[in-house]
Amino acid sequence: MARGFKRRDGRYVARLDPVERGLVVGLMEQVLELVAPQADDAGVPRGPGEGDEFDRIVAGLGGVGMGVSLSAADQAGEEPDAAPGAGERDPALDRIFPTANRQDEQVAAEFRRLTEEGLRARKSANLTTAIAALAELEDQKVSLDHEQALALVVALNDVRLVLGERLGLEDDDDFALLEEQASALGEDDPTVYALAVYDFLTWLQETLTQALAR
Amino acid sequence: MSIAPVEQESVSTLEDAEVDVPWITLVWNDPVNLMSYVTFVFQSYFGYPKAKAERLMLDVHTKGRAVVSNGTRERMETDTEALHGYGLWATFQKDE
Repeated sequence: MARGFKRRDGRYVARLDPVERGLVVGLMEQVLELVAPQADDAGVPRGPGEGDEFDRIVAGLGGVGMGVSLSAADQAGEEPDAAPGAGERDPALDRIFPTANRQDEQVAAEFRRLTEEGLRARKSANLTTAIAALAELEDQKVSLDHEQALALVVALNDVRLVLGERLGLEDDDDFALLEEQASALGEDDPTVYALAVYDFLTWLQETLTQALAR
Repeated sequence: MSIAPVEQESVSTLEDAEVDVPWITLVWNDPVNLMSYVTFVFQSYFGYPKAKAERLMLDVHTKGRAVVSNGTRERMETDTEALHGYGLWATFQKDE
């Protein structure tokens, strides 16, 4: 059972059981794969058939029909595997590296051209630090120094941005709406699981932010 | 204990007059970023006091966006890039 972050003697301590830790590390690894500086095919999700249903959600392969619209009626008839095809940009990347100028597309494109590789490198380094900080633990006790805590709070945010995009969160009320819709689904439905994971990450990031802000 | 230096009379420089229209950095509301996290980023990146950081965060939350910094275009591009590094939805534009 997890216990949120607290600041103690200059360190950031929490408790995560092996399943929780494995979940967080696994998600950070998937986001690392997504944002790592571009090889030719980076950003294109893995093909269908790999991983379990939740992995497929994180990879943008859907399977649960959560698109831009939260209305189930709008999802009907949609391709179950409406993932971006080869060469298409994964929409989660547009959330992690958003448009920097809403008035001038050319300025925005130029900014992206100049900054995206650098941001990818920084985010990758940051995720790598956060993954290492959690992966090296031997028991449930998490104890991070300031640098690791900063890396983790940003990494958790990156994971939530990707998951939020996969869940189709666009407005402040969307998460609550989705939870309401999901309450009709079975406990083992991947949507229900994805929402629970998102909620867990939100809680964990909140406790770490509070500890850092103190 | 240090004492804040007496404010020096500012000498207006030529550049002041030449700076083109000021630019601004905006942060837009989104459903993922936590209120506490946004406040924390404004404090740690800009060095804003907590009260100012919270006021800006609330502006983002309630009004949909807030101007978080202003200055030269180059400076605003730097701020935007840094805020993207934190995962905030930042944009820069001319202050019109």
